[in-house]
Amino acid sequence: MIRINREQTEAELRKFVGSDVYVHSEATSYVFVRNFKVRLTEAFVAGDGPSYRVALRFDGHGWLRMEGLTHYETDEAGRLLLAGFDDRGRMDVALHLGRGPFPE
Amino acid sequence: MSDKGQNQGRKLLAVFAHPDDESFICGGTLAKYAAEGVDITLVSATRGEMGRRMGNPPYLNRETIPTAREQELKNACDCLGIRQLRFFDIRDKTVEFVDREALVARIEALIRDLDPDVMLTFHEKLGGHPDHCAIGWATTEACRRAGRLESLYFISFGGMMEQPERYGYTRRDVVKVDVSAHLPAKLAAFRAHRCQSEIDEWVWRSDREALSRFGSHEYFLRAAPAPASDAAGRGARGLF
Repeated sequence: MIRINREQTEAELRKFVGSDVYVHSEATSYVFVRNFKVRLTEAFVAGDGPSYRVALRFDGHGWLRMEGLTHYETDEAGRLLLAGFDDRGRMDVALHLGRGPFPE
Repeated sequence: MSDKGQNQGRKLLAVFAHPDDESFICGGTLAKYAAEGVDITLVSATRGEMGRRMGNPPYLNRETIPTAREQELKNACDCLGIRQLRFFDIRDKTVEFVDREALVARIEALIRDLDPDVMLTFHEKLGGHPDHCAIGWATTEACRRAGRLESLYFISFGGMMEQPERYGYTRRDVVKVDVSAHLPAKLAAFRAHRCQSEIDEWVWRSDREALSRFGSHEYFLRAAPAPASDAAGRGARGLF
C-alpha cells in the first residue's frame, strides 16, 4: 500500500460512483462489516495528511464516514483498499470497495 | 521425558484459534514433544485474518493477510516440528458465533479419527480472547463426548499458572513442562510469524538476547483431576 494522495485517492474512489459496490469497513478493535452492498452516489477524501477522512454517500440517503486512513492501493482484482496504520504498522481502520463480494 | 524417540508413535492434537497461538503460548512444549517423536496435529480455527498487526512497517492488508498468515503458520510448524496442520476456515473473531454443535461434532470426529494421546486447547474461561474461549469450550465439550477428558490440558499464558490459587486451582491441577532445551525452536517460530512479531523488537535482537526473554517452563492446566494413583501426574497415556 502507498501513502494516500488526496486527489489521486479521491479519483480512484470516484471510479465506483454510480455502481453497485461491495464494502468492507472496519474500526479494527471495535467493529467490522463485510460485504454490504450499496449503490455509491458520491465519494470524498478530506484532510491535509498524514491521515485522511473519507466519506461515501450511497443509495441516495446513506452515509459512511471514516477517519484515520493513511494508505491505499488498487489491488490485482481491481478492488480499492484503504487502510489506516499507526506508527508501528498496526491497522486501526480499513475501507475496501469492490465490484464483487469479498471472500467471506 | 528427555530421551529422543521415547515418545515415538504417540500423538498430540492441539486445537487453537489463530496462527501464532501454538508458538507464542506453548511453542517450547510442542517443539519438545515433536523432538521426542510425538506426531503433532495442529488445528487453527481461523487464519487470524482480522488481526491488527500487519507487519512493522506494514506489508499486508486485510485482503492479503489470510494467505500470508497461513504461510507463516506453515513455516512456524516447520520450526516446531509439527507435521499436520488443519484449518477450520472460520473467520477470525467469529468463532463464538458459528454453529456450536457443528463445531463440537467436527472436533469430536477428529478426536475419534486421530485417537491422540494428549490434547491441548484453551481454557473456556481463561482463554483471554472470545475466539480462544469459544474454541476451548468446543474442544472441551468434544473431549467430554468422546470420553477423553482425562487426556485434555489447557494452555496458559506465561507464568500465570505459577499461582494457580489465584484462578481457583491447585498445584495438583498444573503440569509444568521444562522447555529450556527447546527455546531456539520457539524463537524461530516467533520469527516465522513475522507480521505478528515484527512489532516486538526483542524478537529480532541477537538470538542470545531474544532467548533470554523466554521462561524456562510452560504451564498447563488439567481438564480432569489428576488420578490419585498417578504420583508423577502423568496422564492416562503417559504424556505430560
